[in-house]
Amino acid sequence: MKTLRSTTSPDWRSALRLLPWGLSALFVGYGFVAGGYPATVIGFALVYAVFVTGLNLFMGYTNQVSFGQNAFAAVGGYMSAVLTTTYQWPVVPAMGAGVAAAVLLALVIGYPTLRLKGHYLAMGTLAIGLITYEIAVEWQSVTQGYLGISGIPPLGVGSYEVTSDRGQLALLVAIVLASTFISARIRDSRMGRAFLALGASENGAMALGVDVARTKLLAFLVSAAFAALAGCLFVHVVGYVSPEVFGLHMVILGFTMLYVGGVGSVAGPLVGALIVSLMPEVFRGFKDYQDLAYGAALIVILIYAPRGLASLFDRAKARPRSADL
Amino acid sequence: MTRLSVQAVTKRFGGVTATGDVSFDVPEKGVTAVIGPNGAGKTTLFSLVSGFLTPDQGRILFDGEDIVGMRPDRLAARGLVRTFQLVQLFPDLTTLDNVKVGQHLQTRSGLLAAVLRPGSTRREEAAVSARARELLALVGLLDVADQPAKVLSYGQQRLLEVARALAAGPRLVLLDEPAAGLDAAESKRLAAVIRTIADQGVTVLLIEHDMSLVMNVADRVVVLDFGRKIAEGAPAEVRAHPAVIAAYLGGVEIADG
Amino acid sequence: MADPTYIAQVLVSGLGTGCIYGLIGIGFCVIYNASGIVNFAQGAFVMLGGMLTQLLLMRYGVPLLPAAAVAIVVVAAMGMLLERLVVRPLWDRNATMFVMILATLAAQIVVERATLLAVGDQPRTLPVFTDVPPLMLGRVAISVQLLWILGASALVIAALTAFFRYTLAGKAMRACSIDREAAALQGIPVKRMLALSFALSAALGATAGILITPTQYTAFNVGVPFAISGFIAAIVGGFGRPLGAFLGGLLLGLVQAGAIAALGSGLKNVAALSMLLVFLFLRPGGILGAAK
Repeated sequence: MKTLRSTTSPDWRSALRLLPWGLSALFVGYGFVAGGYPATVIGFALVYAVFVTGLNLFMGYTNQVSFGQNAFAAVGGYMSAVLTTTYQWPVVPAMGAGVAAAVLLALVIGYPTLRLKGHYLAMGTLAIGLITYEIAVEWQSVTQGYLGISGIPPLGVGSYEVTSDRGQLALLVAIVLASTFISARIRDSRMGRAFLALGASENGAMALGVDVARTKLLAFLVSAAFAALAGCLFVHVVGYVSPEVFGLHMVILGFTMLYVGGVGSVAGPLVGALIVSLMPEVFRGFKDYQDLAYGAALIVILIYAPRGLASLFDRAKARPRSADL
Repeated sequence: MTRLSVQAVTKRFGGVTATGDVSFDVPEKGVTAVIGPNGAGKTTLFSLVSGFLTPDQGRILFDGEDIVGMRPDRLAARGLVRTFQLVQLFPDLTTLDNVKVGQHLQTRSGLLAAVLRPGSTRREEAAVSARARELLALVGLLDVADQPAKVLSYGQQRLLEVARALAAGPRLVLLDEPAAGLDAAESKRLAAVIRTIADQGVTVLLIEHDMSLVMNVADRVVVLDFGRKIAEGAPAEVRAHPAVIAAYLGGVEIADG
Repeated sequence: MADPTYIAQVLVSGLGTGCIYGLIGIGFCVIYNASGIVNFAQGAFVMLGGMLTQLLLMRYGVPLLPAAAVAIVVVAAMGMLLERLVVRPLWDRNATMFVMILATLAAQIVVERATLLAVGDQPRTLPVFTDVPPLMLGRVAISVQLLWILGASALVIAALTAFFRYTLAGKAMRACSIDREAAALQGIPVKRMLALSFALSAALGATAGILITPTQYTAFNVGVPFAISGFIAAIVGGFGRPLGAFLGGLLLGLVQAGAIAALGSGLKNVAALSMLLVFLFLRPGGILGAAK
């Protein structure tokens, strides 16, 4: 067999691998140039990219199921919202507390939940997401129920607040790049290999000494942290939060983005989030049909391109080193 | 010294006795083979020893310690590593990465180190890579190191599983029908690999159907039939054992013929 | 609080919703037994049943019973459509269980949103089937709708039992639930059984939706909570046991009624979901043990 060293041959295949990045840069660049509403739309996409990056870690890498990632986004988002409004905390520590709370919750529920398998795991995680949603609705003294919390301060450090569309976009780009970088680094590391290994064969990983339960939990915690970060970013970017933000809609949207971009690939979450977020902008009148279209698109992708757009790139390349960067 | 001691181990599934009161010892040195016709309970025995199943009765001692009830990953950490009859590779990972996963226990880096990549982690990664390549060279897979495991031929995949198990640094390696599906050249390579492993001081226990491999590489043979041990000894002795000829060798000739 | 009449009243109402959860739970079991698939779009059938009946009745003036019958048939057809468009293609591609669950959940959302676009987000209700004053059992009022629910549930269960026991298709489906491959080897058309199980399950869901709508309401988004409740019923009863699922539904209905009485109706869903988690964590085999 011949070895392919794609790094040394700058042919069209490696160029194709850069396509997702080029596409993303193009979208984000457009947001910068246009500012205003397009910048806001791209900003939302970037917040979702962080959420989907976490989803990808847990589902794409370790091949586990979680329909309850919205729970962690909700805990992170509400915590940060309440701390900055009711208790006047500065934004950064509030977001830190939000992420920490979500990770703690993930630790507590992850232990019993991750022992479940198949449809039990699916329903268990779905239930956790729905319970969190219901609590956000019912715990009115803290969350103000359906009314929601408004007047949440924008992102910023100390007295410096990022309020302009472009400034916010720049900050989100930096956060998404950092998230993607972390995801890429994890993928290409000892723990990342353990994630991927148990995703491919639990028995195989176990036989090589991978503590399956612990490793799953670890992946779950990291994905919860990303989800919570996304939740925090959302409330500070929009300045408002209500339970609807973190409903089942978020779960389906996240999965659609993940599958459009490509499960398990590093660039997938970003490209998927951008493409799916821009769909309603491209097609007029699409807005009313958003969730309908997302659901339908997800079904079609699951049937005909289960590995997402990344699989289209894969088919084109003769699989050199499988880092889908 | 005895590396592994299986003592009166019994496992039943429903009313079927998969392994009935089996006892044998595996010495520290050399290659021990467990043979027997299909359904003789060999794979069940392996799963019992490697912690994937728990016996209903009996004890299993690994270096003198009772390991019944221990989880497979804990056993691997103690130096008992197995391969699978139905390969359990990580198909989307490269051949090299598969072997790297095998070194999970040899390395320590956690998530923080993964992200920050301090010098110690970079050195660890370099060592992991070097060792993985060494093992791939041993089994003759170095030229497919960067291919995803799923594109390898079946025989190559079996050899990769062996390399991966060795990466875990075992004191005892259990090979579950490693020669199944290998062509003549691969089978020869495998026999050489097994001898090399044994010469390096790793105890090898293998289940095998391929009698030529067993006769070539095994120092001792344990024969099972219907979940019971019917003979034990050097390959030549076992081959001459009347119960073995009746239960196994005859059957194989018919089955293979 | 400790008024026995009040408690009895609460339990009576729990019995009614419990039957509904039980019917939905049976729907889960029927598909699961025939195919090993857990259909997360089960709630869509429940919603559609109530919604279609309401539309036929209110918009087109069809009398209640024919409207209900038409709705059940239409929803059963939609169940087959779901099987054809979503489940079968994935089944043919050997999709993983997770992908199947995600796809059916997506289908749930699609149905939900399509309904929202078609009829809006107003909650709708049906008149009670027979408008007579409630029966009084001592001081406990028993609404006639509850009797309809109990009677219809008993009828459905009897019909299902007869179907599985005496008809060829029913026996074939049971064979599939025991060993699908062996059933296929015996010449049972496993794929047709899959379609049939979706139709049957959809009809069950629709029936449940029609029965419950007069006492509650229906809207585009009632499906998921009902599906969750049905799923809980199925788990409590030991997944894959239709009768167990019905008993599980009754238990859930009673627990939920108790929770509403004690904590207020806002926590109704939280109570049900918590019960799900308790069972998942502590007794995933249910009370009777899982069928497989």
